[in-house]
Amino acid sequence: MNYPDENTYGNKADIISTVEFNHTGELLATGDKGGRVVIFQREQESKNQIHRRGEYNVYSTFQSHEPEFDYLKSLEIEEKINKIRWLPQQNAAYFLLSTNDKTVKLWKVSERDKRPEGYNLKDEEGRLRDPATITTLRVPVLRPMDLMVEATPRRVFANAHTYHINSISVNSDYETYMSADDLRINLWNFEITNQSFNIVDIKPANMEELTEVITAAEFHPHHCNTFVYSSSKGTIRLCDMRASALCDRHTKFFEEPEDPSNRSFFSEIISSISDVKFSHSGRYIMTRDYLTVKVWDLNMENRPIETYQVHDYLRSKLCSLYENDCIFDKFECVWNGSDSVIMTGSYNNFFRMFDRNTKRDVTLEASRENSKPRAILKPRKVCVGGKRRKDEISVDSLDFSKKILHTAWHPSENIIAVAATNNLYIFQDKVN
Amino acid sequence: MEFKLEAHRIVSISLGKIYNSRVQRGGIKLHKNLLVSLVLRSARQVYLSDPCPGLYPWAGGFFFFPTGGPWRPPPQQQPGELAAGPPAGWGEPPRPPPTEPQSELSAVSEAPRVGDAVPAATVTGVGDVPQGGEADAAEAAWSRVEGPCQAAAGEAEGPAGGWAVFPLGSRAARRPCGCPLGGKDPPGTPAATPRSACCCAPRPAEDEPPAPPAVCPRKRGAAGVGGGPASCPAPSSTPLKKPRRNLEQPSSGGEDDDAEEMETGNVANLISIFGSSFSGLLRKSPGGGREEEEGGESGPEAAEPGQICCDKPVLRDMNPWSTAIVAF
Repeated sequence: MNYPDENTYGNKADIISTVEFNHTGELLATGDKGGRVVIFQREQESKNQIHRRGEYNVYSTFQSHEPEFDYLKSLEIEEKINKIRWLPQQNAAYFLLSTNDKTVKLWKVSERDKRPEGYNLKDEEGRLRDPATITTLRVPVLRPMDLMVEATPRRVFANAHTYHINSISVNSDYETYMSADDLRINLWNFEITNQSFNIVDIKPANMEELTEVITAAEFHPHHCNTFVYSSSKGTIRLCDMRASALCDRHTKFFEEPEDPSNRSFFSEIISSISDVKFSHSGRYIMTRDYLTVKVWDLNMENRPIETYQVHDYLRSKLCSLYENDCIFDKFECVWNGSDSVIMTGSYNNFFRMFDRNTKRDVTLEASRENSKPRAILKPRKVCVGGKRRKDEISVDSLDFSKKILHTAWHPSENIIAVAATNNLYIFQDKVN
Repeated sequence: MEFKLEAHRIVSISLGKIYNSRVQRGGIKLHKNLLVSLVLRSARQVYLSDPCPGLYPWAGGFFFFPTGGPWRPPPQQQPGELAAGPPAGWGEPPRPPPTEPQSELSAVSEAPRVGDAVPAATVTGVGDVPQGGEADAAEAAWSRVEGPCQAAAGEAEGPAGGWAVFPLGSRAARRPCGCPLGGKDPPGTPAATPRSACCCAPRPAEDEPPAPPAVCPRKRGAAGVGGGPASCPAPSSTPLKKPRRNLEQPSSGGEDDDAEEMETGNVANLISIFGSSFSGLLRKSPGGGREEEEGGESGPEAAEPGQICCDKPVLRDMNPWSTAIVAF
């Protein structure tokens, strides 16, 4: 594929914690650690500027979640936005779900470009007029105004999770969605905020027997009764809600046998799945664990059909990565629109793309220094052996504080959004 | 040997992470703490599977005892080596015993205690007890070894000849939960845990029960050497919550109790607080929080004075622990 050029949006005050395109790709939402949501909108391509592909500009910014304090448990609840998921557009307004550790909110983002003028009982500033002074009546009219984008919270889904929410997923019926925490998954109806159905509960009767937690969950893109959830043990369970109300028994169980030669103290940590995503086709699921990305065929449970090494050179550094907590980083993974390429992040602001058909892969870097607008990204290479070629970077020089955990791919075009700590990079495929 | 060192280092790091997780913003992250505890367990297994008295005699001495007679450092170790401290893998070097003779005395008095603490320590975790951490915590305790126990060291050799080498792993294998089965302890050893009740469900509040009742022969007096099941807390009560030592020594001052705790109970206590269970990790507040799951049981125990049976006294004891942990 062609190497993308780049459009950079710099310096958010806070670290970006989630990135998501909407279903058309017109909007791109980001959430950050400060509880804010920033939505970018793609400019319409204009005939005047044929060379300027649609760029993404800030469309709306709002504070989605605030820090809270649970007085009963003496716990502070972080305002960090863990996930954003868009609803399909059904009218002029846009709807998205955003969640922190405990509370999911449905936001309506709508435009206002006209305002009513000519009220009888109020003057132009909104002050009430003395009715005695009114001698004539007029009909208020709508006059154009500068475009204003408003975000209003339409629903708040609270108090349903004891543990930290890690995933939300909108069902293909567009009426329900699920939220998953470490031990439970709840099913919600968008209209009902005071009830949710618990559909998965893996909490043991005795917490001492806890051996695994839920790490991610997603609905099937087409079958509204099917969803998957991944675990910290590296397994994926596919469940069918038609089978029973409580989906404690999976319909399918995906697990790859462990390679005993790779056993170490940290085997369990690196096998914990940090993200699971259905392909657009619904035929495959992709999982990300610490060192690899795997593609599974829904019809084959005993092993993945493809395994891609993201940064295997870290395997010998696991102890250091454990010490500095990097081994707990939760990388996400994404499909491109046609399910032919998968992408995931790494360290040193590197991100990786794997072409499933050609089996080629590329490492790119999201950084200001290396990229100017419309510059072509140069592939990067990490040197693992002794001899370091020019332009290669050695493993020990990698900056582990620069990690790309969140990426997103436009649903139909080759446009990607890459969150590098507090910077958002948007790359587009270069058109010749 | 390197594996053992690395295992030890990993245990230290892991305990530090669990400790820090308590004060993290947003509450305790269940997933991360689960993974850390799995690492702890792996490291512990490696540490235990390599029976090597090795470089750290005071640590090795906790686990392996020569049969008969008071404990002695492994012959190949010289005092100079003792003082040299461990390789860098340990982070902060464990504090060696202040002086050689004193250390011997302390170690001797340590032996029976640890002998009891060891199986009990395995009780506390359902396979999750980071035994490696015991040595770490115990080192901090060395400096706290006080006179009372040293004075009694002469008597403290414990049941004569009763100390066979017992690697922790074998104890852990006795029951699925790691409870030592009755009767296997050397005769005269006060039972570390009541036989009739399997108190293996690890409880974070269970810092006392693993501590053997007779931490020091002098203090053992009240209950007598034959403290076995008879001196156990009533099985029907929650044994984990009752420090058996306290039952047998009602007159013991809190200070002494705490000092004794530091010496041996600290080992098991540290494990039970930090490494053994998720309920500990899910505490509402540092050092507390089992209330939500054991609220019903804490009544009778909490009412007894001097009982370190609920979380608040654990909290009181936390500061020395934090010293031990921070030292990692």
